[in-house]
Amino acid sequence: MIIQVVGAFFATLFFCIIFNISRKQLLFCGINGAIGWLVYLLTLNMNSIVLSTFLGALVVSIISHILSKIRKTPVTVYLIAGIIPLVPGAILYKAIYNIVIQDYDMSSFYGIQSIELACAIAVAIFLVASVTKSSRRTK
Amino acid sequence: MNYKLVFKSAILSGEIMLRNGAETYRVEDTINRILKTTNFQVIESFVTPTGIFATLDDPSIEMITYVKRVDKRTIHLSKVTLTNDVSRKYCTNQLTIEEAYEKLLEIKDKPAYSNLLVIIATGLAAGFFTIVFSGRFNDFIISTIIGSTLGLVDILFKKLNIYKFFYDIVGGCIIALVAILFTKFIHFGSNFDLIIIGSIMPLVPGVAFTNAIRDTIEGNLLSGISRGVEALIVAAAIATGVGVVLKLYYLLSGGGLL
Repeated sequence: MIIQVVGAFFATLFFCIIFNISRKQLLFCGINGAIGWLVYLLTLNMNSIVLSTFLGALVVSIISHILSKIRKTPVTVYLIAGIIPLVPGAILYKAIYNIVIQDYDMSSFYGIQSIELACAIAVAIFLVASVTKSSRRTK
Repeated sequence: MNYKLVFKSAILSGEIMLRNGAETYRVEDTINRILKTTNFQVIESFVTPTGIFATLDDPSIEMITYVKRVDKRTIHLSKVTLTNDVSRKYCTNQLTIEEAYEKLLEIKDKPAYSNLLVIIATGLAAGFFTIVFSGRFNDFIISTIIGSTLGLVDILFKKLNIYKFFYDIVGGCIIALVAILFTKFIHFGSNFDLIIIGSIMPLVPGVAFTNAIRDTIEGNLLSGISRGVEALIVAAAIATGVGVVLKLYYLLSGGGLL
């Protein structure tokens, strides 16, 4: 598991280079991605990928908002970086694979699951953004 | 006050941000904040992922309206951060408008990371994602090779001005081809699925997806939908690329070897 989390750190970090995030932010983005993946792995034994992804995305969004306040940088920078490991690329592949071997039951299962995961991430980002927005208004 | 320069700066900062992967509502917000420093009566901006419209009006001036079409979009988030900084400093009077405009022009031409670094980064990102999904060291090496190829093809396609969606299809094909080559013919990697899953990640439309959500939350429904559709089409293109190659291999190998 430690290897996976370290992997997530480096994967996120190199991703940030593809997105041309400036050098000063790289480390924070990497840590954010690693923490998101750690939360995902820790909650995975509760037997629901959707819930784990949701929690991972929730933690990532909270950290992103805090970081962006402290370092005066747009939230997007941290959010995009942190969310990347959670994006359902693997499930998408399984959906394609099952279409290829003509197992349409499994492919629709994975297809629907990838939509569920996308929605889980969306709701997590949505929740945190709504809360921070309302706190901004009341100030 | 040189209100024309303020207007020009507002549009320029909006253009830089929109071109380089900022959310639409952030672009609108930035433009409005800069325009507000003129204290004019009418300040309005409307931004979609493909264009900026802004208007400035006051009894003391002729109305100005500006339409800016933004066609090419890349992801260069450090430019978004820098533009954000400049507008923040200008709005809190730490910069004059001339200095701000000067800085914006500088940011516009700011170089990205070098091509070689991007190619290596794409490779290692793919490689480490294979590790994240519990791949072995051999798989890591293969994914890194695939990822670097993707980075190279991406840069090549950008130079040749080829559509992004075509790149996603070709990228999907490359991933599946190389993965099959290594695992089935050279017998180097042990885990075919993990190699593909890791290598897909650099193509997956994470930015479009995240921005689609954030735009929708802020009430920019038009942008939210268009970015959402963008993410969907990219996902479909990757699926097509990978799927076609897998299917071909499946048929050629008689169905048993996947």
